[in-house]
Amino acid sequence: MTYFLQLVVSGVVVGSIYALSALGFVLIYKSSRVLNIAHGQIIAAGAFITYALTVFLGIPIFISFLCSMVITFFLAMSVERVFLRRLIGEPIISVIMVTIGLMSILDGLIYLSPFGSNNYSFPAFLPETPLNFAGVSISWTQLVGVLITAVLISAFSWFFNRSTVGISMRAVSDDQFASMSIGISVPRVFGLAWAMAGLSAAAAGGIIGNITGLNFETLHAYGIIVFPVVILGGLDSVGGAVVAGIIMGLIQQFAAGYLDGNWGLSGTANVLPYIILLIILLFKPHGLFGTHEIERV
Amino acid sequence: MRLAGKIAIATTVLMFIAAIVTGPVCAKVYKTALSLAITGPTSDAGNPYSKGVEDFFRLVNEEKLLGDDTIECIIRDDKYETDITKRNFEEFMDMGIPIYLNYSTGSTLGLKRDFEEEKIPVIPASFHYGNLENSHYIFLPIASYSEQVIGLAEYVANHSEGGTPKVAVFIHPSAFGRGPVDDLKKAVAAGLKVEVVEVVEHGKDLDNTATLQRLQNKGVQFVICHTVQSPVATLLNDAQRLGLIAGTFGEKGKMTFLGAHYTGGNDLIALAGEAAENFYWTTSYTITSVPGPGADAQLALAKRYKRDEKTANSHNYANGVMVAQVAFEAMRRAKARGLEINRENLYNVLNDMNGINAFYPVTTVGPVTYSKTDRAGVDSLQLYVVKGGQFTAVGLPFRSVYMRKIH
Repeated sequence: MTYFLQLVVSGVVVGSIYALSALGFVLIYKSSRVLNIAHGQIIAAGAFITYALTVFLGIPIFISFLCSMVITFFLAMSVERVFLRRLIGEPIISVIMVTIGLMSILDGLIYLSPFGSNNYSFPAFLPETPLNFAGVSISWTQLVGVLITAVLISAFSWFFNRSTVGISMRAVSDDQFASMSIGISVPRVFGLAWAMAGLSAAAAGGIIGNITGLNFETLHAYGIIVFPVVILGGLDSVGGAVVAGIIMGLIQQFAAGYLDGNWGLSGTANVLPYIILLIILLFKPHGLFGTHEIERV
Repeated sequence: MRLAGKIAIATTVLMFIAAIVTGPVCAKVYKTALSLAITGPTSDAGNPYSKGVEDFFRLVNEEKLLGDDTIECIIRDDKYETDITKRNFEEFMDMGIPIYLNYSTGSTLGLKRDFEEEKIPVIPASFHYGNLENSHYIFLPIASYSEQVIGLAEYVANHSEGGTPKVAVFIHPSAFGRGPVDDLKKAVAAGLKVEVVEVVEHGKDLDNTATLQRLQNKGVQFVICHTVQSPVATLLNDAQRLGLIAGTFGEKGKMTFLGAHYTGGNDLIALAGEAAENFYWTTSYTITSVPGPGADAQLALAKRYKRDEKTANSHNYANGVMVAQVAFEAMRRAKARGLEINRENLYNVLNDMNGINAFYPVTTVGPVTYSKTDRAGVDSLQLYVVKGGQFTAVGLPFRSVYMRKIH
């Protein structure tokens, strides 16, 4: 039973971090219907900014973490302003292609810095001794990661459901022209969506970097790894990202705990989420919580 | 008189031109080339590696170690993509290089047939034993991954108490990672006293709790890792959280973690912090945290070319210096024998590098020996362990016994 509970806890921890990483995709898609392929690079940039502020400037890590979120907020907003604003009204595929180009540019810029090909780790700032409850262990890093994820996701859910700006963003997502006709500034909404995606990406980068260490290849891979989470949850659902993230985390841990190493199986933790994703999409093509649009022709 | 004056001036000019033209004919430029991942996957290893190659060839030229002749090494990024490596290699061949320095396991295996067709000696950064199979022109700088993993397993067999030790192998999900697994199983079949309980191919794991507890439930005491540092660091951090890291080698009820060349080095300590304590690592290189002539030479070279501390202390910088040294030594020997520096002669010189002709670079724990039947350079391995936040040497260099039995 302890083993099972440990896998549940680990699955929830991993799933929460997946959800936070997936949030950036959802925020941008929810407002603009664009998939940001460069999301992994923004996650990595957020982690490196936190590190640079902490180690190079000597700022306490918690403040660096918050500063990094603010910096990536404006960084992502600038990216939208410079590269994507002029594509409003253009076909979605054009915008996605621009995000692919953006990915290459960010890759190149990060490789020009020492962070591109060196490994770093955050200075230790949390207690080393893990928390143990009835034989179930969780590290402080993981616990703090889960708490930050919970706070951010709650805040974003409230923002989209209750705030005027959040509701404007949902309106833009539904129909850009109708939104404009009632006075919503679509460019401003797009900029804000990118900015908030940047903020959540920095948070995800800081948490992942604290667990795996700061390695660019590892960090930016999470932009792709969480893709099944985004699809499963429904591309435009914040709550969906949370549920799908936790489902994926649990599937991975249970597969690693009960399937791998038995009956000649290996690596099922990496494959099973995709198999389950395919099965669910057969029955729910828009994901678990994605908007099912019906167009009247 | 005016005509005579013109002739004198013309003669002087011609002699001057002749002096300029004939001068460089004596001093030759030998081209060589390296294609590797300076960006992309494994660039954390490729970056210092390329600097090691670059610095050593600069030293050769500046110190005139080949007399007036110089080596020009073209270094190109291939982003760890075999198609780019192939394109680079084809361009290098058009430049007429006599020896080629390659990098990844995938591209070395992928270009093996090209190397055979071109009959060009190649020194890769990949130590995969499969590079040597059905191939005559690939020369590994040090002991193969198989030899490293089997060597670690032998150390486990010889130093653990009670019964046959249970071992898990934690590998990179690629040709690079899977390479030594079959050889380890062959060694076990040949009598190596370890039980390989499970081979774990890792992903981008944020939490290895399930894997570690599964291995613990199966009684695994030793985990031999053959991958890169980042996943090992995550594994070690999780093992530490679960209280599974052995305080002493082979401690009962705990796990002792060991790793081959690319798992270790200072980057592992940077990534894993205190969880890296008691991690056992093997390579054929000397390291800078263990004082000696190899460490001094490496640090002096890095200092000369103003490399940062991280690069200066990287075992992958040593790795790059080493392959450049071997390429240079082959050229030097060919030149000393009055041979032209071409593919055939360098190939023959490399194959003669054994016995009294063995090459002794100071940055390795044993000599480089090549022959037509032995194309793994340094056969010796040194075991290191992390103590007090840095790698220290454990015992003397050793060679795998079972590697010789299975190959």
